[in-house]
Amino acid sequence: MMHSDTLITRAKQGDKNAQGKLVQLWYKRIYNFSYKFFLDHDLAMEAAQKTFISMCRNIESLQDSTRFKSWLYKIAVNYCREEARKTKNTRWVPFEAVVNIEAEESPRWEGSSVRNDNPEKQFQQAELSDILQKSLMELSAEQREVVIMKEFEGLKFREIAEVLNISENTVKSRMYYGLDGLKKILERKNITKETISYEL
Amino acid sequence: MSYKPDESVLMAYLYDELNADEKLKVEEYLHSNPAAMKELEQLKDLRKMMTVVEDKEVIAPPIVMEDSRPRFFWNDPFAKTIVGIAASLLLLMVTGKLLDLNVNYSNRELRLSFGAPVEIKTQVPMNASLSAEEVQRMINESMQQNNQIVQANWSESQKKLDESISKNLALNSAKINNLVQQASNASQNQIRDYVASLQNQNQQMVKDYFQLTTSEQQKYIESLLVDFSKYLQQQRNNDLEAIQTRLVSVEQNTTVFKQETEQILASIISNGTVENKNNRNY
Repeated sequence: MMHSDTLITRAKQGDKNAQGKLVQLWYKRIYNFSYKFFLDHDLAMEAAQKTFISMCRNIESLQDSTRFKSWLYKIAVNYCREEARKTKNTRWVPFEAVVNIEAEESPRWEGSSVRNDNPEKQFQQAELSDILQKSLMELSAEQREVVIMKEFEGLKFREIAEVLNISENTVKSRMYYGLDGLKKILERKNITKETISYEL
Repeated sequence: MSYKPDESVLMAYLYDELNADEKLKVEEYLHSNPAAMKELEQLKDLRKMMTVVEDKEVIAPPIVMEDSRPRFFWNDPFAKTIVGIAASLLLLMVTGKLLDLNVNYSNRELRLSFGAPVEIKTQVPMNASLSAEEVQRMINESMQQNNQIVQANWSESQKKLDESISKNLALNSAKINNLVQQASNASQNQIRDYVASLQNQNQQMVKDYFQLTTSEQQKYIESLLVDFSKYLQQQRNNDLEAIQTRLVSVEQNTTVFKQETEQILASIISNGTVENKNNRNY
């Protein structure tokens, strides 16, 4: 995987460098999980930071080093749920969404990582990515967290069951209904294999 | 063909998490069931579509952790409070010991004392077997004695008071007489001096006034005389001018009269000569 067991062992013994290394290794994953959960940078950063502060504080209590990944995602899911609860009653719009001059003035593909690719294709893929992520937000939180962990984070069903503390079958069931729901949402938006085949 | 995989098996198949036997079974089922196959294909397409969602790049911010060194129990705020209270109590006890503080609660009274306790002697009545009448009598006697003493004291003090008042009165009247005498003497002299000074002042004032008035009168009379002489001069001048004008007018009249007279004379003379001539002629 992304790290060796010795790194976790050292982190468990209170080695600050090892803990820092773990943060560096896992920050992008946890941030992207949180980002897809909220579709908001600030909330994702908040949840990710809290997750890693909690990780550094409590890693000594981690019994089985092999379960580090599911343990970390469990913390992340808990903080995501907490943040979602906090922001449930406060309706707000991120400033970037109101005034995004950069987005208005420059094409989407400029911000992409691969610049030497076909710009038109880049733009279409970015647009599709936006639609997919927004459709994901229309799913229930339970289905959304399963879909993100399985599809984007690549966790096994067993690991997801461990993270959410539910049975594997429930995870699979949520995954099925999550994918089915997503498919219907996309169909409603006229996004099917046929309509976007030229983009893929 | 009664086998029909449920949704969880289908999910496991979709994500390739089935063992070989189960996988085979599901594949057989799908081959014989095009609708299920189609649904699975759609889900596969969806998964393929989702590959366009890329991860966002992010830089891990520094995670600031508070000092995680093991905390000893005396660093705990609760323990600190307890130790503080204990230290205060110990200090109070040591102070009490050094000052020899005694705290005693007995007979519904709390006593705080420093040093050895002092016994308070209470006088117990020697003769406790007195009857009420005897006590009343004793009280009456003592009251009577007390009254007599008070009366004697009172009359004595009254007498003393009278004496001192009369003495003070005599003394005060003498003093007042003396003072009045002194005051009258002093006032006679003062009045005399005052009158003398008043007279002097008046004399001076009258003298000054007369001097002032005489000089003013002199000045006034002088100016009056001058004015009067001026007036007379003016009057004289005016009279002279009037006389001169009258004289001039008289002179003019005289001149005119003279001329008229001459003319009349001349005419008479001329008339006489003509008549003479006429007469001669006749």
